[in-house]
Amino acid sequence: MKHRQRIRTITLGAIGIALFLALWELIGIRGWAGLTWPPLSTVLAFLFDPSRRPLFLRAMTASFSMIAFGYAIGLVLGLAAAALGHLVPPLRPGLDRLASIIHAIPTIALAPLFIVLLSRELTGMAIAALGVFFVIYVSATSGLAASSAAHRDLFQVFGTSRLTQLRRLDMPAALPALVSGMKYAVPAAFIGAILGEWFGSSRGLGLLMVSAMQNFQIPLLWSAVLIASTASLLIFGLMSLAERLAYERYR
Amino acid sequence: MSLVPAPVTAIHLDHISKSFTLDGGGTIAALGEVTLKIDKGEFVALLGPSGCGKSTILRLVAALEEPSTGAVTIEGRAPVELSRQHRLGVAFQDHALLPWLTIAQNVALPYQLAGKPVDKARVSALIALVGLAGFEAARPKQLSGGMRQRASIARALVLKPDVLLLDEPFGALDAVTRRQMNVELQRIWSEQRITTLLVTHAVDEALFLADRVVVMTGRPGKILKTVEVPFARPRHPDVTREPRFHELVDELTLALEPAGGHG
Ligand SMILES: Nc1ncnc2c1ncn2[C@@H]1O[C@H](COP(=O)(O)OP(=O)(O)OP(=O)(O)O)[C@@H](O)[C@H]1O
Ligand SMILES: [Mg+2]
Repeated sequence: MKHRQRIRTITLGAIGIALFLALWELIGIRGWAGLTWPPLSTVLAFLFDPSRRPLFLRAMTASFSMIAFGYAIGLVLGLAAAALGHLVPPLRPGLDRLASIIHAIPTIALAPLFIVLLSRELTGMAIAALGVFFVIYVSATSGLAASSAAHRDLFQVFGTSRLTQLRRLDMPAALPALVSGMKYAVPAAFIGAILGEWFGSSRGLGLLMVSAMQNFQIPLLWSAVLIASTASLLIFGLMSLAERLAYERYR
Repeated sequence: MSLVPAPVTAIHLDHISKSFTLDGGGTIAALGEVTLKIDKGEFVALLGPSGCGKSTILRLVAALEEPSTGAVTIEGRAPVELSRQHRLGVAFQDHALLPWLTIAQNVALPYQLAGKPVDKARVSALIALVGLAGFEAARPKQLSGGMRQRASIARALVLKPDVLLLDEPFGALDAVTRRQMNVELQRIWSEQRITTLLVTHAVDEALFLADRVVVMTGRPGKILKTVEVPFARPRHPDVTREPRFHELVDELTLALEPAGGHG
């Protein structure tokens, strides 16, 4: 029953994607959206042309490493802040406020600061880290409060220390919410890193997009967008899978 | 062997009462004034209508709640000291197994919470004892309600606690399994003589397991009647067929009826 439902969801999803791609192709071929909308086939031919492989690989390496580092830094900081707020409750309100202030400031406004403070190359990473930090902090904090009252009672009666409870109850119970947060942090890291590269980084997909735009290299622009979107969607999809496993086991 | 040592009070409920503050601001008297002494190595069963405060008494002894008036002591000290020393064993009404651990890991959990090495042999022996052999690697979700309750009893016993608190541990079991579990629990208990407070709705279960049965009134609960159980230990399941057993069942059932308090 459940299995069949899953197959249907996947089939419907695949049909949806196929329709979307076909529409893209059609609009491009007919030129309904003007010159700036190339057919999918043109973009793919451009993208997979062997002569451009080094260009795209270099851009991907630069962007993806910034995204990965930014994600990792945001994840570690978000987890550390959430754990601190959980273990030292008086710090909680302050940390909450800090996180919401960080979230409330438009990151674009911070970009010039990062360029001055860090470097052009690291600005994307820093913006990505900020975005990831907020999502992870919020999800980990709510996750750490997700254990049931009955379980907390049980741990108390068995004379559990604070740290043992964190390890054996609070953290496992936080996992589903945290994995959800990690999923939503993926697009945040992509947005941050690519946005950062727009501000004059010398490498990366963001730079490729900006220079393609300025030089009216339409297939190049679309290729860069396609790479970034596909990668983000792919990782997001994988995280959805991990999320489902976490909910099945830890809830 | 035949020497009977003078009884030592283990759990002392000294004129305790408990009221809760409701969200709306009102208060609810959950427990009237209760005084009860439980000797070391004694098995006491609590009977009473739903909502009379039985679970509340257990939570007070487990240091999960503070009494509104009066005091609870275990061996003359605050109950929280006992729980800090990992000397309490509990099985709650709600089994409270951790969903991400297997049955074997759940039963072994108290060792880890106490920072002690896991005694694997004892864990598997207890799992077999509660009839869950073969389900060591299963997760709580894969078991029936009754199987989960049995796992939670194994967990309560694993550290050889000095005080055992059981809140309707067999509530979800069918009559036959319940009888079997009673026999097993009686056997384990006779070997270790853990001071035990059992909450139950089943009169025959209380009589078969306990040294003393305490009947409570409706909310706010007070002690209505105490019955000493005369059967020698270890008890054979056949005691439940003796006429004296039936007399006591009738007596307690009558006391539990709403009018029983005035009869
Ligand atoms: N945390 C709480 N806040 C408010 N009221 C409570 C709380 N805990 C218990 N009560 C109230 O105290 C009374 C006694 O509850 P308790 O759980 O001890 O009953 P019980 O005898 O165990 O009932 P049952 O046999 O149905 O399990 C109930 O009326 C309940 O509503
Ligand atoms: Mg109860």
